[in-house]
Amino acid sequence: MAGPSYHMRINKAADRFSLIEIIKRLPKLKNNLDEYTYYGFGGPFLEDMRLIYEFYPEIRMISFEEIRKVFLRQKFHIPCGPEQLTLENCNVTNFIDNLESTDEKSIFWLDYTDLDLICFTDFEKLLNKLSQGSVIKITIRADPRDYWIIPKNIENRRQKSRMIENFRRIFGEYLPRPSAVPSWKSEDFAYLLQEMMQIVVQNSLSADITNLTFYPISSFYYSDSTWMFSITGIIWPRTDFEAVEDAFKDWEFKNLVWNRPIHIDIPNLSTKERLHLQKHLPRERPRGPVLRAEMGHLIDEDIIRTEYALEQYAAFHRYFPYFLRGIP
Amino acid sequence: MKETTPIDEKQINAAPLKSFFVSMLTRDIDLEDSILDLLDNCVDGILRSRPDEGNQPYYGYKAEIRLEKDLFLISDNCGGIPWNLHKYAFRMGRDPERQSDAPGLVGYYGIGMKRAIFKMGRNCSISTKNINHQYQVEITQDWLQDEYTWDLPVKNINWKGKDGTIIKITNLYSNISKQFEENSKKFTANLERIISTHYAIIIEKGFEIKINNQIVVPRTTKLVFDSHQLEQTGIRPFIFKTITSDNVDVFLAVGFWRPPPSENEINEEKESTKYSSMDAGWTIVCNDRVVVFCDRSELTGWGEAGVPRFHNQFIAISGVVEFRSKDPGKLPTKTTKRGLDSSAPIYLQVKNKMREGMKIFTDYTNKWKGREDESKKQISKGENLPLREIRQKSEKLSMNTTSRTVIPGEQYRPNLPKPELPESTARRISFVKENIKIKKVAAYFGDSSLDPSDVGEKCFDLVYQEAK
Repeated sequence: MAGPSYHMRINKAADRFSLIEIIKRLPKLKNNLDEYTYYGFGGPFLEDMRLIYEFYPEIRMISFEEIRKVFLRQKFHIPCGPEQLTLENCNVTNFIDNLESTDEKSIFWLDYTDLDLICFTDFEKLLNKLSQGSVIKITIRADPRDYWIIPKNIENRRQKSRMIENFRRIFGEYLPRPSAVPSWKSEDFAYLLQEMMQIVVQNSLSADITNLTFYPISSFYYSDSTWMFSITGIIWPRTDFEAVEDAFKDWEFKNLVWNRPIHIDIPNLSTKERLHLQKHLPRERPRGPVLRAEMGHLIDEDIIRTEYALEQYAAFHRYFPYFLRGIP
Repeated sequence: MKETTPIDEKQINAAPLKSFFVSMLTRDIDLEDSILDLLDNCVDGILRSRPDEGNQPYYGYKAEIRLEKDLFLISDNCGGIPWNLHKYAFRMGRDPERQSDAPGLVGYYGIGMKRAIFKMGRNCSISTKNINHQYQVEITQDWLQDEYTWDLPVKNINWKGKDGTIIKITNLYSNISKQFEENSKKFTANLERIISTHYAIIIEKGFEIKINNQIVVPRTTKLVFDSHQLEQTGIRPFIFKTITSDNVDVFLAVGFWRPPPSENEINEEKESTKYSSMDAGWTIVCNDRVVVFCDRSELTGWGEAGVPRFHNQFIAISGVVEFRSKDPGKLPTKTTKRGLDSSAPIYLQVKNKMREGMKIFTDYTNKWKGREDESKKQISKGENLPLREIRQKSEKLSMNTTSRTVIPGEQYRPNLPKPELPESTARRISFVKENIKIKKVAAYFGDSSLDPSDVGEKCFDLVYQEAK
């Protein structure tokens, strides 16, 4: 994927941090964190493993990485001892296929870079294997440009209809309105993917066969050069929604009832600007106009965009990483 | 020897139990199919009130379905249930005395509406208006539990709007309620998928169907048809048409709906499923209703009588057979109307033609294997046409007439392109290399996104230039 390197994507960093926030609230559902194992892709720098180890050292971790050279690089970046983190050089689909159903609790982050049918089938299989209290986060590419072009001439129009047909052929089983032409706006496309995930859940944990369901906890879409969609939820008894609601009621970014995903669009701010704004946070919405007044200058094209950007900053400022130049 | 006790009764009760209809009959049908039965009744209503043909016989007619936690509702403006049919419409099964009241109706067995109602819930009201009569019939839980009462209460109502019917089912069974609530996304999507394919032709002919306010868009099979120089080679479907001695009109077309897949595509599909749905296979239509959609089994002739079994290399082949009759009893359907009666003589006769046509395209696929780029070019010369346009085009084709075959009729056998090189002089080379290495060589050729088979071919050509 093009764009900034993996660990420096600020919107993704916020999405990653949201998982930390979710884990923080799991004990409210009478889950002990030391019962959990975290499974993730990690990437070359094992960023999420580093973060989880920093916040929740009691959680055991397993990383799966298919590409050998990335796996070797991971070995170099391992943030803790091997008793805490196991690195596996394997393909995630094979890993899920070979995973035995267990009563142990898991936190899975299926952090894909593309949008393929396999993202949905992996998720479907995993839902069937994990136990009550397990958390699954799935991140997929959500770029409508992969399946849509602006038709300028007949050939374009043909190409467009071929692309739509191709999209239907690949994902037809999971489309909520299989016969309709999807909207290709980023926010609508992200919502469509969320609806497709909801269908996966209803396939895998169908109300007529089990009382377990997958309650969403948060869902986001963002772009660090490529649009991504990310949803996190918990496997929990269908009849005990109140407990989930209660555990996450105080969290600003909760999405417990499959509402439209939240946009993460954190502005680029200097450290000096951030430290200045931080003095005025947290505060009640709307925060954009107040922060713009405190800032005294625009950070985007106009007042409206600036206030939107500052509102985004206010929302996610705690999840916003600092990138500083250091002496190695 | 023991003494026997004489029987006093002269007759024994063999009357059916209501609970049998309510609990057993409903097990034979899926929920989606029972909803489609109700849509069939809408279409029959249209045919009863406006039985004219033409391109858009269903235009202006609508059916709306609402699915909620404890409600199923279907409303239509399709003419309502005529009062003179009430003694048939609400009885279980078809009265043998009943004459067909309009040609081409699909409702034949007299169980669809009742079965759908019993499948879903314990309470139902059926309100209808047809010309001078507007009335409501109610089915209640008490009526369902009473084994001896078969009469249903009926009353006059005030109906506003066009003639039509509203069926409202409440007090849903919990398994049905779950489908409409907890599984609603999945269920609604599946229902839409089935309606968009099974009602595709009826919707194309003007009928409007909405599910929870969303209009269903038809999904029809379209086959590649090269309209240039019809007497020469080109990608066109095999076509067969006839009117049987029973007056059943048959139209069959089979061909390509897309280019055959490359070897790479087939291999990728082998490793992991890339597509969740395919348009390949046979679709069977009876009086505008699709009874089988994209079948790729022996039911439609795959893997029989010299036709290979379906395999991913044949995903480009698709076919449609349309049966049409004024007497639905002559059509090869089952009581569910979405099931094909595969042992019906008319179907067995037509199946011969299906296999004959299919074989032309499996042969073409095999002959052009490894030269998919060329076949892609041939297919791109044509355009994908729906069946009604293929029917029109067939008028211009030179059809062969047969009268002494199993099923007499007219047929068009396309003259598909043949590879220039005799196959025996060419041999396939295939080998496996690591992905990362393939990409590196592809980059060497100037395009790292090159297909692995292209990379291999370029490597061969390069070495061949040096070697020759």
